[in-house]
Amino acid sequence: MSCGQHHETSCQDVLNAMIFFIDREISDSNQLMALEVHFQQCSPCLQEMEHERKVINQMKKLLADSCNETAPEELHARIAAQTALLAAQMSAPTQFVTEYRQSQTTVITDENGSVVIEETHIQIQSTNEFGEFGKDFPLS
Amino acid sequence: MTVTLWPMASEIEVKTPAGLLAKESAVDRANRFTNDAMQYTNQLYAAALRYTKNAHDAQDLVQDTYAKAFTSFHQFEPGTNLKAWLYRILTTTFINNYRKDQRRPQISDGELEDWQLAESASHTSDQGKSAEDEVLENMPDGDVKNALEEIPEEFRLAVYYADVEGYSYKEIAEILGIPSGTVMSRLHRGRKLLRELLVAYAKDRGYAKGFGES
Repeated sequence: MSCGQHHETSCQDVLNAMIFFIDREISDSNQLMALEVHFQQCSPCLQEMEHERKVINQMKKLLADSCNETAPEELHARIAAQTALLAAQMSAPTQFVTEYRQSQTTVITDENGSVVIEETHIQIQSTNEFGEFGKDFPLS
Repeated sequence: MTVTLWPMASEIEVKTPAGLLAKESAVDRANRFTNDAMQYTNQLYAAALRYTKNAHDAQDLVQDTYAKAFTSFHQFEPGTNLKAWLYRILTTTFINNYRKDQRRPQISDGELEDWQLAESASHTSDQGKSAEDEVLENMPDGDVKNALEEIPEEFRLAVYYADVEGYSYKEIAEILGIPSGTVMSRLHRGRKLLRELLVAYAKDRGYAKGFGES
């Protein structure tokens, strides 16, 4: 349905773009100007837009009033404890490398009076891996 | 004869994940996270209820979201929108961990143009306008919450982020990981479904006089 008068932008185009106008999603300044000019000249379109905007604003208010639940205290506490735990795990070592070194020097004197020196070096390395960070932390 | 010259020596070397602690200590990160991110717990919980529709799962979803946010906090770019970043993590956590049937068919977004042309490209009668106003003015909060729960998830979330959180189409696209055009069609269809449901509730309760005869 048209208001019967001729406009630069047709009523149908304006009504189709109306919701983007209300949502402030029209970034093209020419398009925005064309709509504003049309609303000044065409009262049925202006009324339609104002009604639509009013309904959307009422819906927003109704939604805001009913979707404003607050998290239980217990959840705040759980998240704080979880953050502390994750931070502790983050700063904890993920790998221990343990090294054992032993050297032995043996001095042997034989019956001819000559001296033999034997040196023995032992090195043991053991590696203990812990859970890789971020993989196996408890979620709850 | 045996002489041991050195006693057994042992030493412990500690390695931490490379890069992780180079820039910020875990304690500093925990403090920064607590100061910046924890203030949004209530808002994340309210949003989580829109995803899970029950308080127990919503609490777990928020807690898991904070765990993920903390471990990837180094990826957050300071100065950008932290709350929207948390909502993005909430969304991915929900999709990965909580959505009961991940293979359920997604609702088609292609029907927007049809209804939009059919529904809005005409001037509504004054009688219709005042009847709709009357319905909304008398609407109890509980009805709005029920109606929002009844509409499909895709539409519900688009409406929530636009009409409760006030995000732009582009921001909602980033939070939900979908194109802006899809946000637009889901938001418009979602609002329309919500209004239809509220009018239906009002008719059932007999407080929508203007709609009585139709």
